[in-house]
Order: sequence, then structure tokens, then C-alpha cells
Amino acid sequence: MKIVVIGGTGLIGTKVVNQLRQAGHQVIAASPATGINTLTGEGLAEAMKETDIVIDLANSPSFEDKAVMEFFQTAGHNLLAAEINAGVKHHVALSIVGVDIMQNIGYMRAKKVQEELIEQSGVPYTIVRSTQFLEFIAGIANQATDGNEVHLSDVLFQPIASDDVAKFVAKYALAAPLNGRVEIAGPERFEMYKIVERYLQLANDPRTVVPNGKPAYFGGEVTHSALVPAGEAEQGAINFESWWATQAVKA
Amino acid sequence: MKRTIKNESGLHAPTKTILEQERKVLLDLGNDITKVREKNDLITLFKNRIKGLFYFTHTIITLIDHKDETYYAFLLDNEGSPIRTHPRYREMVAARFSLNAPFIQAVLTSDEPVSYILEDIMDKPQSPPFLRVNYEGGVREILMTKLMKEGKPMGFIHMYSDRTDSFNPEFRGVMKGIAPQLSGAVSNIIKNEELLNKEKEKSFLLDFSSNIAAVRTKEDLMSAVRTALHKLDQKSGFVIRCINEDKTTMSAYVYDLGSAADEKSLSVLVKAKYPINDGLQNRVLNSSIPLLFNVEREIQRGITSAYLQYWKKMGFENFVGIRLRNGETNLGILLLDIEEIKIELLQGICAQISIALANIMANEQISKKQEEQAFLLDFSSALTKMRTKDELQAAIFEVLDKIMNTQLAMIRVLEDDGVHLSVFMFDRRLFGKAHADFDKLAANKIKIDETYTAQVLASKEGVVFNVDEELRSGNDYAKLWKTTGLRNMYGLPLRMGDKIIGTIWLLADFLGPLLLKGICSQITVAVANILANEKLLAYKKQLEIENDYLKEQIKTIYNFSEIIGSGESMQEVYRLMGLVAESSTTVLILGETGTGKELIARAIHNASPRKENLMVKVNCAALPANLIESELFGHERGAFTGATDRRIGKFEMADNSTLFLDEIGELPLEAQAKLLRVIQERELERVGGKQVIKINVRLVAATNRNLEEEVKAGRFRADLYFRLNVFPIILPPLRDRLEDIEALTHFFVKKYSRSTGRTIRKIAPRVIQQLRSYTWPGNVRELEHLIERSILLATDSTLSDVFIPRNADADKQEQAFLLNRSLEEVERGYIIETLKRCGGKISGTGSAAEVLQIPGNTLHSKMKKLGITKSDYFS
Ligand SMILES: NC(=O)c1ccc[n+]([C@@H]2O[C@H](COP(=O)([O-])OP(=O)(O)OC[C@H]3O[C@@H](n4cnc5c(N)ncnc54)[C@H](OP(=O)(O)O)[C@@H]3O)[C@@H](O)[C@H]2O)c1
Repeated sequence: MKIVVIGGTGLIGTKVVNQLRQAGHQVIAASPATGINTLTGEGLAEAMKETDIVIDLANSPSFEDKAVMEFFQTAGHNLLAAEINAGVKHHVALSIVGVDIMQNIGYMRAKKVQEELIEQSGVPYTIVRSTQFLEFIAGIANQATDGNEVHLSDVLFQPIASDDVAKFVAKYALAAPLNGRVEIAGPERFEMYKIVERYLQLANDPRTVVPNGKPAYFGGEVTHSALVPAGEAEQGAINFESWWATQAVKA
Repeated sequence: MKRTIKNESGLHAPTKTILEQERKVLLDLGNDITKVREKNDLITLFKNRIKGLFYFTHTIITLIDHKDETYYAFLLDNEGSPIRTHPRYREMVAARFSLNAPFIQAVLTSDEPVSYILEDIMDKPQSPPFLRVNYEGGVREILMTKLMKEGKPMGFIHMYSDRTDSFNPEFRGVMKGIAPQLSGAVSNIIKNEELLNKEKEKSFLLDFSSNIAAVRTKEDLMSAVRTALHKLDQKSGFVIRCINEDKTTMSAYVYDLGSAADEKSLSVLVKAKYPINDGLQNRVLNSSIPLLFNVEREIQRGITSAYLQYWKKMGFENFVGIRLRNGETNLGILLLDIEEIKIELLQGICAQISIALANIMANEQISKKQEEQAFLLDFSSALTKMRTKDELQAAIFEVLDKIMNTQLAMIRVLEDDGVHLSVFMFDRRLFGKAHADFDKLAANKIKIDETYTAQVLASKEGVVFNVDEELRSGNDYAKLWKTTGLRNMYGLPLRMGDKIIGTIWLLADFLGPLLLKGICSQITVAVANILANEKLLAYKKQLEIENDYLKEQIKTIYNFSEIIGSGESMQEVYRLMGLVAESSTTVLILGETGTGKELIARAIHNASPRKENLMVKVNCAALPANLIESELFGHERGAFTGATDRRIGKFEMADNSTLFLDEIGELPLEAQAKLLRVIQERELERVGGKQVIKINVRLVAATNRNLEEEVKAGRFRADLYFRLNVFPIILPPLRDRLEDIEALTHFFVKKYSRSTGRTIRKIAPRVIQQLRSYTWPGNVRELEHLIERSILLATDSTLSDVFIPRNADADKQEQAFLLNRSLEEVERGYIIETLKRCGGKISGTGSAAEVLQIPGNTLHSKMKKLGITKSDYFS
């Protein structure tokens, strides 16, 4: 099958592309770097020719509220229009668990718009909602750092390894379109400040974590359980410790 | 199999010659590369350098595409390649070969050049087909060297040989050594190509923009776009479709479908209006990026717009659609028969086209407006010439057809009752399929409160009814409308100022509001004119009928010769009439009531050259004071409250005829002034009108008043009196023409015998005697009525008795009559009366002297003194 992975050079994208190639599919890793840009439309129509499946794993280069909304709106619109014209049979996108209850956060609003565009497009689809990637813990620590302290709450957190995400995405891409959503998450649930504390400890990071009891995510207030699946979710195989072990090896 | 054995150049210490050769090749190549202009120069130069040192047949360079992990031919050896005649050569040049194959993976993972004997590898399942093709071209061995860029593989240089011993360690060493240089050269070539392309695009867009700037018309735009596309090596067609005025459809605006289009299809395609929301056009309009369409897929999707079928027939498979917009406003779309989308270029082109388009459309709008205005002017001047409905109908049908591309459904006009609307005009062709239904509906008179009419009349500029919506809401008319296949019914009020004239109904898909308004106001004026004209004609017609009838009547009753009386006083009247009749002189007829002033007036008219026209009579005493003016001079519609129609005054009606102003003495002073003016100027203005109307009227006025007295009393204008009193004719009272009584009596007896069916053969002499002795204050009219009554009361064929009134009224009248006379007059009159009553007997029994109780000779001397002769009492 011919599969186009938008954002195929990103963290998840690269992995999904490799998996699918290994499974013998003709895969195009699409990104501005490879001459395919969903914002400008460059190379898009040509890439879509004869394509069966499109997996959208792109991310906005800027996380500023307005920019991120514009990115997902325009990219989604252009990509879906091109897919419709090319007769693509399955559109898969990676979204975020709890996206609809965190609409006070700009990034979540943008992801929600992305989901809605897909649902309304008429292209058969599967939306995979994932919890945060384990690889993202460092980023969470950074955005919560004040001097030498990291201020975080006990909001529930169930991070998933990007390898697991890629596996799930590839699996759902090759399956029949659900025309609906599935949720995926890591195998363990933590209070956020604790897992970040552990991470810093393992990474020999000198910063100290200060619990603040204010559940928040990227500056936006969230409920205690906003970041974890409310119902059924598929769980990844890689837990924090084994993930860390592979990270250490790479390093 | 990969020959690792040969892969040992790096293991042995290189010989001095090899090092030198290598250095020389590198040096030369370094120099060469700076000279590379054309990408294939690189291959040629490189080959020439190596050729002198080592043996090989040809060489190519392939590049890696990371997005799908493939590699493909980039630089070819156009002279040396032995496979150029191979049937699969083209395919090989265009093909992409997977990196995910052992043949190429071995090259990627090795730091040294890798060689293969083709026979060993070419038939392995994942081996790229070019190996076999080369083998078939005589090649036996291949040496692959990878080219690296920034630590990542970017491509390969392939060396081919028709021997199996070419790639010795020296050769490999040189290849490995020059690989980085080649990589650099290839990168440069790629970068140069990109730059060149960008440059080309830029200068193309510059050219295009200066071409576009010169575009003034649709045709200019067409040729500019065509030239531009041809420059881009796009020989194929394009269409620019613009959003139509109705905002719901698009039509081809500028196009060139090349040779693929046949005339017939083209004319259909060009004329058609395609709904914007046809499932395809809207996608183009909603997309900020160009979209690539597959004709077959869109048909499969269920898009029914006919253009797809035509294109399919014309052989188009794919096309690109891009929206054209000016700022945020969509103008239309550009459809191009191309496969490859150069986004920036296309968007540059479209931005330019959009500007040109907006300009042309604005220009066209202006000239269209001008045309429309000129047309409306023509239309309006044409309409002013229309006097009949047929002419108007032809004009309206034409304008609607030519300019609005529509047909008239209906014009209804408001009737005089202000409530009903009746059919005025319609175009039957419109309802060709549903004649019967239409006729049924059209026959209905509708009222102003009918739902649709009420809405239209209440609106300022009309109402648009969507036929389908109306159909759903159960509108009976809509069923009929639907038969035309048109989408909207436009209902507009026809108004003159605030006055409603009627309604107009037009069925169409779309009508421009401005033109519609203009045309409707013209039609309003024309309809109003025609209606007024029709009314006028009807009125005239009626008058003509009346005229004929009256003429007939007059002929039978009022003959000059039928004026009875041959007495002296009447002879004088006849003489005067004879004198004046032929001329146009104003005649003033004076005489008591019932003396036959009208009869005389008619006789004068009938004896005049104007006799073919009807004499118009106005009884000035019978006119309500406030209407006198409009009665005499007419009025325009709306001149005063209640003046709902234009009215022609009696003066105008009497044009070229005679106007008989009866009872002129009763005319109020104000009207006298107006009358005077008309008599003096011989022209008039209708009340509320501005137009001066010349008239040629002969005036005959009559009164029983003493106008001189009236003038003295200030009740009658002296100047008017002088104007009227040009030729007075005084009619004697009946009592002054006793000699005519017998003849008149016979005349009336005959007349009423006829009309009552009683035959009176004889009149008793006593009756004549009685009639002669009466004073006749009501004059001839009284006599006539008396005879009529008497005939009805007669018992046989002899009129033996008449019923002369003896009532108080008569006495009073007589008294009044008497009171106005001098003693001498009274005495004279009384003596004559008495003599008449006594049959002229002066003295003796039954004589006048006896009645007067004076001696006979006293009467004789009194008669002498008063000048009473026999003729006074004998007739
Ligand atoms: N982070 C999380 O915890 C989390 C959780 C749930 C879901 N997700 C979602 O997962 C998705 C992938 O995240 P990621 O971390 O793998 O992203 P990433 O590593 O930042 O990669 C983003 C990819 O998007 C490509 N891209 C950017 N602009 C593009 C454009 N205009 N056209 C085409 N491609 C474009 C980038 O290409 P270049 O490399 O050429 O710039 C890159 O390949 C995102 O949609 C994100 O919302 C993230």
C-alpha cells in the first residue's frame, strides 16, 4: 500500500515510517524538508497520487496560541482537500487524551479543530488520542522551571513511550478506518510532580521539584484527571524504567 | 556477488604512481568542476579525465530521495551509454529504485566503492532492473561509489564496464578519492538548478505581470494567459470561470481548451451556468492551495456538472483548480489541464489574473451599466410613442427578451374601484406547457389583499419568490411557475409616484435589480399612458354614440322648420336667425321660460356649418357651484379631491361645434371671469393642468333674466355681458303671439296623439278660444304640457276641453307679470285681452265694453288713444 506520513521526519513520524517500510509498504515521509508542505500545499497533490493511507503526525513549529491554531486549521484543510481529490481511503491523526476538556488551552483548541476538520471531511478516518510521550517529560520540566525549582502539581499523568505510540499508530493505520477515536496511554499512572522528580533524579539534573497542588498543563488550569484516559485505553508495553534504560543506552 | 576481495585498495600501501594519478585526476577534476555549466558537463568532463587512466564503458550518477527512500538517475552519460537503444531505457531513466534492497544496502553500508559482476546479482529478487538492462546492453560489471553530503548519503556514482577486470584497486582508490569532490559538484548543480528555476519563475512572473498590466479586455486576458502557459511548456487548455451576478453559479469567462474541444461541446460549455456548489467548484473556491482533480474520480464521486462529462469526452484526465480572488472576495476559478503543480508559480499567476479579472469585470460592469442606461433611454423614448396596447406589448416583450433574457409572466392593473386587479398583459409563450392552467388562473380577478399581490404592493422594490420554496409551502401559482423551469418569480409594484397602477410578474433565474427597476418604472409610465388613452378612447366612443343618437333625435324633433309660428314677432326672430346662423358670431337668446330658447339655439346650430358636430349644452343653473369650472374646462387627474380621472370639459367637447350656455344669468361671478377669458383668448387650460388648449367654439347663450339689470346689480360682469350680447335675439312670450296659438296647438296635438296613441281629429273652436284668452306665463312649454295633459284626459277624438290652471300660483305669476308693467301698458294689455276673450266684440252684450263696465264709445276712444288695432286682438 502507498502510505504518506505527514510529519514523517518528526519524533513519532520517523518511527511510524520505519515500521511501515519494514512491513513492506511504500511510504513517503512528508515534511517541508522532503518538499511536502501542508501549509503551502507544495508537493502535496503529487504526494497524494495513488495514496491509500495518510497519517498526519505533523506538529506546529510554533506553540503560540494563534500560530498553532492557524497551523492545524490550514494544514488540516489543505491536507484533507488534497486527500479527497486523490481518493485517499484512510486518514489517521494523532491527537491528545482529554483534548475536549482542556479547551482553555490554546494548543488543545487547535487540536480539537484538527479533529473536527477530519470528522467533517468525509474521508474515512481514525483519530488516535494519546497521552503525553515519555520523551516529553523533559519539556514539561523545562516549562515549569523557576530558577532551580520545578513547580508542578499532582495532576494525574500516564505517559507513553514514543515507540509504543508509533506501534499503535501504524496498527490503526493499517486497520479499517474506525470513523471514530481510540485512546492510547502508557502502562503506569503517576502524579506528575513525582515522575518528573524521578526523571530529574535519573538524569542527574540538579533542579528540585516543588509540588504546588495546582493542577495545570502548559500554563492552563486543568482538572486532576484531565490528562489521563477517562475510559478504556490501550496501554503501551514500555514502562518508565524500561524506557529510561533505552534512553540511557542511546545517550 | 559483491566482490570484497577487490575491495582492498585501502589495505595496501598505495603505490607512488597511483597516488600521483589520483592527485592529478583530483586536481584536474577540481578545475573542471568550476567550469561545469550544464549538469551533464560534469559527466563528460569526469569521464574524459578518467578515460585516459582506466577502462570502463560509461558512468552515471543517481540521487537519493529521502522522503520515500529511493534513488533515481540524475546525470546520464548520453554518449557512452550502450543501453540507450534498449526498449526499457526510458523507463530506467524515469524509475525510482528502492534503497531497501541488498544490492544498494551493501553500497550504503560500505565505506569503499563496491563492485558487482552483473550476472551474479541482476536476477536476485530485489535487485534493481537497470542491472539486467545494462547486462543486455553488454555490460558485465558495475562499480558503485556512494556520494555523501553532510554525513548522509546523497547518491551514487555508477561505473559500468563490458569487461570483468576493469575495477582494479587503483581505479577504486581514485573513485573513493574523488567522491567528495563529485558530491560537492552535484550539490552545486542541484543548488544551481534550484536557483535557475527560481530565477526563471521570477522573470516569468515579471513578464507575465507586465503583460497582464496591459490587459484591458477579456480577449487581452485570454491571450496573456495563453502566452504565459505556452511559455511554461503547457500547451494544454485552461478555463477561467467567473462567479455570475446571481452569486450562485459560475460560467466560463476566458478559456482556451486547445484542439481538444469540438465546436458543439464548446458552445455548450461556454454558455452554461454551473452551480457554485456543484461539489467541485466550491472545493476550489474553499481551498487556499491549488487542487489536483482526476476527472474520472470526480464523476465517480457523483458530481453531475456536465463539464466533467465533456472533459472526459475530450480526453482530459487530470486538471488543476485554483481559486481567483481579489483580497477576500472570490472572483472565480482557474482550471488548468496540467499534472504538475508549481505552487508558487501558479499562485503568482493567479494573483495577477485576479487583478486583471477584477479590473476587466469592473470595466465591464461600467460599460454594461452604460449600455443599460442607453438602452433604458431608447426604451423609454420608444415607449412614449406607444399609443396602443399591442405596440406596448411588442416593445415590452422585446426588451425583456433581449436585455433581461426573460419573458413576461403577467402585468395586472388596478381597476378604478381600487380593489381589484385585472389582467393587462402576459406572454402566453412562457406557459407553453400549461396553457389551460394559466388561462384558468389568469381569468381570476384578484384583489389587492391576495397574499402575493399584497406582499408585492407592500414592498418598495418588489419581492422575489423562490419557486421551489413556494411550491413546498403549497402556493397554487407555484405549480404553474414550476412548469417554466425557471427558479424565481419576481413580483414588482408598478407605481406612479404614490399611486399604484398595478403589478408586474417576471419569471427568471436571476434578474439584475437595477435594470429591473429601470425597466419597471418605464413600463409603469407606458401602462399608465395606455390606460389613460384607453379610457379617453372609450369616452370618445361613448360620446360619438351619444352624438349620433342625439343628432338623430334632434333631426326628428328640432327642425328649423319645426319652429312653429308665423306671426310677426316670430318672423322677426327667424330673420335674425337667418342672418346670424352661418357665422360664428356669439348669439344671446333672451326670453321668458318656456319660450323655446334651446330650440332656437339648436336651430341656429343646425343651420350653421358646424351642424355635423354635436351642439354641447350646459345648463349653468343646474351646475353645482364648485364643479362649474371643471365642467366647462375639464380637469386633470388629481386636480382636486375626487378628481380620479382626467375629464374633458364642455368647451373642449364643443371644439369645432356650438356650445349652448343655457341660463347664463345664473353663472357665479368667479366662473364668469374664467368664461370671459376663454371667450377672449379662444383657448383654455384644464383645471390642474398646465397645457393650453386652443379651441374653436361658437357660443350661444340664453337667459330669462334681464342681463342689463343683473349687470347693474353687480351680479353679472359687464364685460362678459358685452361679449355675449353681440347678437341678441329676443323671443316673444306666447301671450304676445296669440296668432301662433292655433298652429302650436295643432302641432302639439299631432305630436302627442302620435306618442300616446290617441287620435285627436278635431279641436273644438271653444278650446282655441280658451287657449287664446290665457296669459301663458309658462309660454310654449306650458302650452305643450297642457295639450299633453288634455289629450290624455280627452274622451273621444275631439279635443273639446283644456284644463287651464286657475291655481294661486298662476294667479301670483300673473300678478307678478302684471306688477311689472306701467299703468298704460296694463290698461292696453287688459283691453286687448278682454277684446280677444270677447272675440273682438267691442260693444253690446258679451262685448268687451260690457266686461270692462264702460260705455262702448269710451272703449272706442281708449282704444284709439292706446293704439289698439284689430290686429292686436284678432289673430
Ligand atoms: N507531545 C505530546 O505529548 C503529544 C501527545 C499527543 C499527541 N501529540 C501529537 O503528536 C503529533 C506528532 O508530534 P511529534 O512530537 O512527533 O512532532 P515533531 O517531532 O515536532 O514533528 C513534527 C513534524 O511535523 C512536520 N511539519 C511541520 N510543519 C509542517 C508542514 N507545514 N507540512 C508538513 N509537515 C510539517 C515536521 O517536519 P520538519 O521536520 O520538516 O519540520 C515534523 O516532521 C503532533 O500532532 C502532536 O500534537 C503529541
